[in-house]
Amino acid sequence: MANRVAICAVAQTKFEPGKKDQRFQGMLWEVIKSVREQTGLDFSEHGIQGAITVSDDVFDARTISDGGITDVVGAHYGSEEKVAADGAQGVYYAAATILSGHHEVVLLTGHCKESQAISRNMVTHLAFDPFFTRPVGLDYLSAAALQARAYMDRSGITETQLADLVVRARQWAAKNPAAQETTPLTREEVMAAPMAADPIRGSFMYPVSDGAIAMILATEKRAAEFTDKPVWITGLGNCYDGFFLGERDLSGNFALERAAQRAYAMAKIADPKTAFDLVEISDQYAHQLPQYAEGLGVCPPSGGNQWLSDGGPDRQNVNRSGGMITGNPLMLGGMARVAEAVLQLRGEAGARQVAGAKRAVAQGATGPAGQCQTVVIVEN
Amino acid sequence: MSNEKKEQELIVSRQTLSIPQRFSTGPVMGRFLQELRDNKRIMANKCPKCGRHQLPPREVCALCNVEVTEWDELPPVGTVRDYDIIFYASPDPLSGETREVPYVECWVDLDGTQGDAPFWHLLNVDDISKVKRGLRVRVKFAEERHGTTEDIEGFEIIEGAES
Amino acid sequence: MKRKNRNVAIIGSGMSRFSSHREEVNQPEMIHEAVVEALEDANLTLDDIDCVLHGNMELFEMVHQPDMWHVLGDGGWGKSGVRLTTGGTTGATLACAADNLVASGLHDVILAIGFEKLQEGHTTGGITNMADPLWGRSLQTGALTGLGAQKVIDEFGEERARIAAMKYRTIMDEHAMKNIKAHRRLRLERQYIKETADNSPPLAGELRMIHMCSQSDGACAVIFASEEKVKAFKANPAWVVDHETVHREETMIFGSQKSTQRAAAEKLFARAGIKNPRKEIDLFEMYDPSAWWGVDWLRDFLLLEGDEALKMIENDEITIEGAFPVNPSGGVVASNPIGATALVRVAEAAMQIRGTAGNHQVPKTVRRAMASGFGGTLWTVLMLLSKEKPE
Repeated sequence: MANRVAICAVAQTKFEPGKKDQRFQGMLWEVIKSVREQTGLDFSEHGIQGAITVSDDVFDARTISDGGITDVVGAHYGSEEKVAADGAQGVYYAAATILSGHHEVVLLTGHCKESQAISRNMVTHLAFDPFFTRPVGLDYLSAAALQARAYMDRSGITETQLADLVVRARQWAAKNPAAQETTPLTREEVMAAPMAADPIRGSFMYPVSDGAIAMILATEKRAAEFTDKPVWITGLGNCYDGFFLGERDLSGNFALERAAQRAYAMAKIADPKTAFDLVEISDQYAHQLPQYAEGLGVCPPSGGNQWLSDGGPDRQNVNRSGGMITGNPLMLGGMARVAEAVLQLRGEAGARQVAGAKRAVAQGATGPAGQCQTVVIVEN
Repeated sequence: MSNEKKEQELIVSRQTLSIPQRFSTGPVMGRFLQELRDNKRIMANKCPKCGRHQLPPREVCALCNVEVTEWDELPPVGTVRDYDIIFYASPDPLSGETREVPYVECWVDLDGTQGDAPFWHLLNVDDISKVKRGLRVRVKFAEERHGTTEDIEGFEIIEGAES
Repeated sequence: MKRKNRNVAIIGSGMSRFSSHREEVNQPEMIHEAVVEALEDANLTLDDIDCVLHGNMELFEMVHQPDMWHVLGDGGWGKSGVRLTTGGTTGATLACAADNLVASGLHDVILAIGFEKLQEGHTTGGITNMADPLWGRSLQTGALTGLGAQKVIDEFGEERARIAAMKYRTIMDEHAMKNIKAHRRLRLERQYIKETADNSPPLAGELRMIHMCSQSDGACAVIFASEEKVKAFKANPAWVVDHETVHREETMIFGSQKSTQRAAAEKLFARAGIKNPRKEIDLFEMYDPSAWWGVDWLRDFLLLEGDEALKMIENDEITIEGAFPVNPSGGVVASNPIGATALVRVAEAAMQIRGTAGNHQVPKTVRRAMASGFGGTLWTVLMLLSKEKPE
């Protein structure tokens, strides 16, 4: 690799159940303004040379929905390329545009208003093929429920354990100004929530959420111009699993294990159990935190249950942000995880700061039951 | 066995897919739509840096990448810069109904507009052969207004007032 | 010259058959046709691919994140991948992304796939959905506008402009007749140019059905590899020299701003040291959504002035045998599966360099070829390919 990619600035809106007072352009402008102020960058020749954006046409209910944000991302007579997947994939591609030598400085943005559609499940229902899997009513929630059942059966993890993860997530979210669901909950309150899709209770799933994120990425050479606290992307990996849920081992981590192997090979990480000062997992649903911890190898294979019982999440600083389960829209789960990792490595995580954090892993997922997985490793 | 190879019937699965939406208008487009609905006023916002008007108003000036904060009322009268006569009947994606053709789209420089900011709407005419550039036109507001594009029915030609 | 981290080449491409109706295949099956052909062309198997890129526009077929379902046909299972979409430019953006991802060192061999099955939705309705839902959606008519035609007519007069547009259209059809994959192969005849136009239904202003691009079902797959892999595979490469993306603002304003076609060409040629593109580039695969735009943009892409581009059409310079062949494939007026279309331009340009275009191979040696994409609110993506490996 010719050089390293630095993340020089990060901004997030507060994530909210419905930003009814803003168009997606308005949400984006708030975070773009912030990263430009942090770095002093403009869109001149030696400023931001291109934008990589993350959004989805169905969520935006707009064909070529990046056309609606050209003005805001400064791409009038400039370059903008849209990644239509989880925001961690945006990080992946934005880093490539710099490593390739094509850009020196890029603006990475992501936006999603899950509240805009009358039901986000109607959006994700459309990810299924029109012949077999739509007619049976699948959407990402019901796909996750099949995954949850499969994983809970294999691991023996109980509803009570999942409830405790939700309680814990709320405690950390209360320390994160960007987090959406910060009200403390008791185990009993979590368990009392009605089933959304058995075994997933309403409290076990991420809330409907609106928000936007922006970052500035730059070459090693240029980064020092914009920040004295660069955070380096040292590992990147992603992988697709198959489509039909019945053909996948939903209790396992086929795609995530491979994505992680690729990122660890790049970052030269031998033992992920000890390599990271903090871990950020896209836990759209409570069961995904231990399941994906297994996939990332931050706990022993098939050891998720024991790991929860042993206090693994606290010991390894997993999801100090509160995690996705406290509120990020579907398109931004992985990008919010990277954002948290960057804030931690910059020492800007306030009351949830991991002292002296040097290296972090962030994970994002796209598709039903985490069909496509992305792993990003950052170091300072 | 018959020598004729029977052609397979290829079944096409017809589905109508739609998801009801609640689009936020935000403070900028929201103000524009509210002024149309309540006061029949056309409000453009104006870039504080380059002075270009925006119609409809947007949050940010594309040319300068700064927040657009100033507002001007523009008159409902202007000059046709360009027009398009549409003969192809396509569905309106918001209603699903097929449009009646022909209809005329036009780009109008409202009087007093600063910068390159034509206002885009329909030009309602009884005879499309009358349509040309330079026509003086006036906005016709709808009787019932709801804060949407349809609060304007379209432009109408101001007879005898060619520029 | 932009300094890339490492060289990247196109070493294979494949396309499904393009047609208005591909009911005999579903989406992944149609993609699979292109993937199989690309692998055969490059003499590789799926095991050689480490990353799959995917792109189209979701609201045409109403499939959310279609790369999930399409792993059934695109070979993405177990592999890395990214989904990118930028409207009509999607295919060109996929090519740029493949170049970036290989040059970055993250991947060695990438399969980039663009597709659209326009028959499964309403094309013009789908494009109209690009307008702001609060304002333009009840006004826009997809990608149909007569303003492109009006511009050419204003400048060159009705008669010359109309003949040039139909001459261009007819040349494209002559090319499409040689391309077995092309969708609209109409056997247009030069002596009936006027009658052909007059008998074609009007769409918008002077734009008639005959001028406009088709609505096609189809998929395209292109394989990009690092220099090391090109050597290892003993492949026949078309090297990616550089690419440029130029978007413009959200609102459509016609005519008064510099075209993104010219802006992209200026930037790309400056970096590549190209002074006289018409002489220094051997061939151009242009995303020509209509014959009128083809006529207008040829001038901008080649940085020409006045009626120089018009004369190129009038003098048959843009034919397969001509001095500067444009769209030997038949171009977009012949075939337009939108999410694939701009990738088809790149694939066709590479095929001409690699000498694999078959019936529509140009007779001269193609050392440098250019491919363009068009999309969004008049956006351009431009890519330059070469037979010789870049320094």
